[in-house]
Amino acid sequence: MGSRGAAAAAALSRASRIRSKLQSALEATVLEVDDVSNQHAGHAAVRGSSDKETHFNVKIVSPKFEGQSLVKRHRIVYDLLADELQSGLHALSIVAKTPRETKPAQ
Amino acid sequence: MATLNLSSLQSLSSRPLFYALPQNTPTLSFNFQPKPSTPARPISLKPYHSEKPRAGVVALAVKSLGETEAVAVSPENDVTAGELPSGSGVYAVYDKNGEVQFIGLSRNIAASVSVHWKSVPELCGSVKAGIVEEPDREALTQAWKSWMEEYIKVSGKIPPGNESGNATWVRQPPKRKPDLRLTPGRHVQLTVPLENLIDTLVKQNKVVAFIKGSRSAPLCGFSQRVIAILENEGVDYESVNVMDEEYNYGLRETLKKYSNWPTLPQIFVDGELVGGCDILTSMYEKGELASLFKK
Repeated sequence: MGSRGAAAAAALSRASRIRSKLQSALEATVLEVDDVSNQHAGHAAVRGSSDKETHFNVKIVSPKFEGQSLVKRHRIVYDLLADELQSGLHALSIVAKTPRETKPAQ
Repeated sequence: MATLNLSSLQSLSSRPLFYALPQNTPTLSFNFQPKPSTPARPISLKPYHSEKPRAGVVALAVKSLGETEAVAVSPENDVTAGELPSGSGVYAVYDKNGEVQFIGLSRNIAASVSVHWKSVPELCGSVKAGIVEEPDREALTQAWKSWMEEYIKVSGKIPPGNESGNATWVRQPPKRKPDLRLTPGRHVQLTVPLENLIDTLVKQNKVVAFIKGSRSAPLCGFSQRVIAILENEGVDYESVNVMDEEYNYGLRETLKKYSNWPTLPQIFVDGELVGGCDILTSMYEKGELASLFKK
């Protein structure tokens, strides 16, 4: 991404950046990204810094998770969001499923 | 202290005090009595990403007490591997004379019964278990109430274990183990890198939870939940307070590198990272933790 792209990305919210990073890499069929920072505002490690965009819930359904343990799936997501984690993203609640796992039981 | 108390979500505080139940660590009993010593933040073990719609009308989802068959349990049986389900629902403990001693509620009936058998074996002869389908709080409450009411109607009394003030079925919260410290203090120069200390610690202890805060006073919701789950499972675990700047200085950053995992809390079993709060919760809900901790 050229510098203009990077600047544009920074202007988007963290939620949008998370969404776009995960969507493209994971070909997600379901992708929900929620900023729940206000639920954690004021707790010990966050106190003092601005309580914006620090805690997110993400739910991803992707065929790329097939055959991966939960730990592996979470690692994939963490790696994709490494930049965010270095720049103030503090916690991520992850639900990572494959399309098969979300089919209603017969 | 992580008290597992379904009244945490405040919706039960307006119920009549008739069904007073003691607090019970592995069993999520309803505490209708306002206890002065109740800790400020009881734990809710409801899943984060619950997608269940709230039912407008709660149909009774459990067989009646009378219709349910009792399962005799002898102390030698491994209760959890036996015929008792490890799902959520209501259960009734009968003593060796066939009298009901206690009617309880649990997210893991087999686990709760196992604890009772260890702590008050003289009061335990057999158990009736009623699994509740779609065990949300509402359904579980209804089911428990239905068994209590049925029993009271038939016998004219409350089971002795359910009387208010009865602490028999309450496990006294064990004096919590102190958290492990990685170093003797900041003033002491380390002779080995912190990573090595972490490595040794997770390899020498079966279950290790790196949390924010101490196990008796966790400092973040995810850490609190991890402790609640570990306490509920009754497993022996070590806890390490990553916020302790005196004895665990630099731990947060070193741990993240060591495990290649960017968030806290982190749980290790048999020297390997199991994951964080989400993964532990998911395994807990699927009933996978018992076998993980046994290995």
